[in-house]
Formats: sequence, C-alpha cells, structure tokens
Amino acid sequence: MRKIFPADLLARDERFTRLTTEQRFNDPRSAGGRAGSRGVTKLTPARPDASDAARNLMHGIFVGEVQALEGAGRTCWDFETGNGPDDTPFALKLDMARQCWDEARHTEISCKLMDWMGTELGEFSESTFLYEAACNPDPVLRLTGVNRALEGLAIDVFNTMKEFGDVAGDPVLEFCEDWMLADEVTHVKMGSDWLRRLTEHDKDRRERALEFQRVVDKLFSLGGFRGEDDDSPIRLARRFRELAGFDEAEMDDLAEISREAKADAVRMRERLAAQANA
Amino acid sequence: MTVTVTPETFSLVSFDGGEIKSVVEDLLPAIGFAAGFDVRIEVDETTPLGRAVVTSYDNPVVIEVESGALEDPKKPRFVSRTGSADVLGRLLFRVRDRLDPSFGEPPPDADLSLQLSVAWDVYSIGRLVRLGFRHHDNRQRRLYHFRNRHGFTDAADEAFERLWTGDDLTWNDIVSLSDKAAAVAA
Repeated sequence: MRKIFPADLLARDERFTRLTTEQRFNDPRSAGGRAGSRGVTKLTPARPDASDAARNLMHGIFVGEVQALEGAGRTCWDFETGNGPDDTPFALKLDMARQCWDEARHTEISCKLMDWMGTELGEFSESTFLYEAACNPDPVLRLTGVNRALEGLAIDVFNTMKEFGDVAGDPVLEFCEDWMLADEVTHVKMGSDWLRRLTEHDKDRRERALEFQRVVDKLFSLGGFRGEDDDSPIRLARRFRELAGFDEAEMDDLAEISREAKADAVRMRERLAAQANA
Repeated sequence: MTVTVTPETFSLVSFDGGEIKSVVEDLLPAIGFAAGFDVRIEVDETTPLGRAVVTSYDNPVVIEVESGALEDPKKPRFVSRTGSADVLGRLLFRVRDRLDPSFGEPPPDADLSLQLSVAWDVYSIGRLVRLGFRHHDNRQRRLYHFRNRHGFTDAADEAFERLWTGDDLTWNDIVSLSDKAAAVAA
C-alpha cells in the first residue's frame, strides 16, 4: 500500500461532488451584496436562515469527519515506527488509531444528524483541504496542522452547534454535538502533547510546526467564518481550547488571524469583482 | 403570461436567465395562475446569500432574489433548477394564497413572525412537492425548520403533518396550527 496518499485519489462514490480550493475562494460576490447592509452573523436560531445554515454546516462536519478519519489512518501507516527524527513513536500511532475509532463514530453520528435535519449525503459539495493538511511529510507538522488547527476548528464548530441545539430546544443535536466536542478536545490535546514531546530538543522543528499551524488556521478561518467578531458565524471556543492545551496568547493570535483572513477575503473579492465587471 | 429575468446577462455568476425563466414558466400553470399573469424575477448577483422575497403582489408580480437562493450548492455560481423551483414555487404559492379571497388576509410579509412564515412555507412546499417539484428531502428539511420554530414535540409534528398534507387551508388554519404547536413548546 502506497504511503502519502494524494487527495484526488480518495475513495468517494457518485454522491460526492468535489470542489477545489480555487473554486471555493474565487467567488467575487460579497456577503453584504449591493445592499451592503446585511451580512453574515453568528449562527443562532434567531437568524431567519438558521435551519438551512445549520444543515449546510452539518454536511461540512460530515465530510470533515470522513477526511479526519482518513488523515489519522494515514498517519498510522505513512511513517516508520520508532523514536528517530523521521520516525513516529508507537504511542503516537496508538493515539491516531484511537482517533480513527472516534472519527468513524463521528461519521456515523453525522450521517444520522443529517437525516434528522433533512440533509442528504452529497447535497452539498466537498472540499478536501482538511485531508490535504494531513498529507504533510513531517508527522509533527501533520499533527499541528490537523490536530491543533483543524481539530481546534472542530471544537469551535461543535461548540457553536451545541449552543444552537440548546437554544433551539433540539435535544438530539445538542447531545450529539456535546459528545463529539468532548472527543475533539481530546484530539487537540493529543496534538498539543505530541508537539511538545517531539520537538522538546528541536526548537526549529517546533517553530516550523507552529508556522504550519498558523497557515492552516488562516486558511480555515475562511474569510472570517470563525472568529470573535459579531459577523463570525462560528465563535472561538476559548474555554474548550484552554482544556485542549491552548494558552491565552495563542487564542488571541488566532482571533487576529481570523481578522486578517477576513480582510484578505474582502480584498480578494473586490479584485475578482472588478475583473468580472471590467 | 410573461416572465422576465433581470439582469439579462450575469457577470459575477454563471446563471442562465433563460433557465430561470423556464422554471417559472413551468411553475405558473402548475400552481394555478391564469394566462395574462406576469412575473419579474430580479436577481442580486452581488451576494451569495439566499434571501428571496416578493416585493410586489400586483401584476406583474416582482420577486427579488439573492443569487445564493438559486445556486447549486454543488456547483457554485451555477443555477440549480430544482432548487430554483423550490424557492420560487414557495413564493408563487404565497402569491396565489394572497390573491385568493377564501384564503383570508395574512399580514404583510414584513410583519410575519418567523413561526408563521415557516408554517406557511410548510403548507406551500407540501403542495409544491405533490405537483412534482421535488428538491432533495424537502419533507424532512421542512420538518426540521418547523421544529426549530415550534419545538421538538409531538404536537409540533402533528401540526406539521396537517400543514404538509393540506390542500385547502386558510390563513386562520395556519395560524391556529402554528399557535397550538408553539403553545406546547412554551
């Protein structure tokens, strides 16, 4: 079986539609539109479009779980077992195997939640940039990119969905998200612990790993989708991130990264809109 | 029966105005509009959001719609034919109900509560699906919308069933079903 499996060869049936990162980001439209007075706000039941926004997000969670399963599985296989600089300790692989078990369960939960919410599998497109972050050839960078950046985003998303279920009075959504949230905190903690252990005597490698995490964090802030501003649909879940090993400075940094991502996205849309109208 | 779509050509999205027009031309006779009834669809292509509203109930009826409402979520910036029929059909049923004296007199759209708006949508989409305009799992999707506004209770599900399967409901029927379901959840 080959090592470092490319994203475009991931097994998917005809229900799935793949969207490239370029397709996702090359959209010249802006949330405010020509009226300019109405943008996106936090995902709460008070939003008129709340149910559909939650359904769409649930599909994103589902494909994210599938890719997280694939990524953790690859980390068990892609590296030799050992304690050398290019190896992966057996205990780390054991953690990744446990994570596979969790992600498989999350995938099944997500399928059932989609049924509950009236979302068909494949109703929305799939982007594979979660899995792509899990293809880094350095296991430490892979863990910071996936377990700290992406599973960290999962903490923010699950916490927002749990609160959504709570306010809407949806006991199924609230219960399921709460259980998955607990697992995500564990996954992020694994990333934090292994980053510290594997780079204890290699500060350059730690800095490269944290820089990779910042790149992935910015990419996954999706133009301000996750942040602490009023127009961020997904809020930074500081308390749960603290439990997972993030310190205050890292979370402040993350909030700033989200603001930068939003400003970048606005500039990019303006440029694309000008090109389209030229 | 004249259907016009503006803008005539799109620059920010790859929408085909002719396809949107043909969707509305399929919907109008199926929903029961008489010949001589005109509709104008005004698409705001500058935003990917999905709001769609009727801004004039006179002839021509005017529907303003943000591009996200007609978009195929699997193919960004292209039209979804079934999704467009779902959104525009729901609004055209609302127009038909308002023009029917036996339906009653609902308040203006801007004054409708989210609960009543969602209940009316269930009644509209239920009829639309029976006419053959299906878009994914409309029933479960609408049930989820309805539960979010009326509570996750058996009473809400019973009210939903009446709305979903109804054909000759009045505005007072919709208000009554919505209020009863919401009262149980309160």
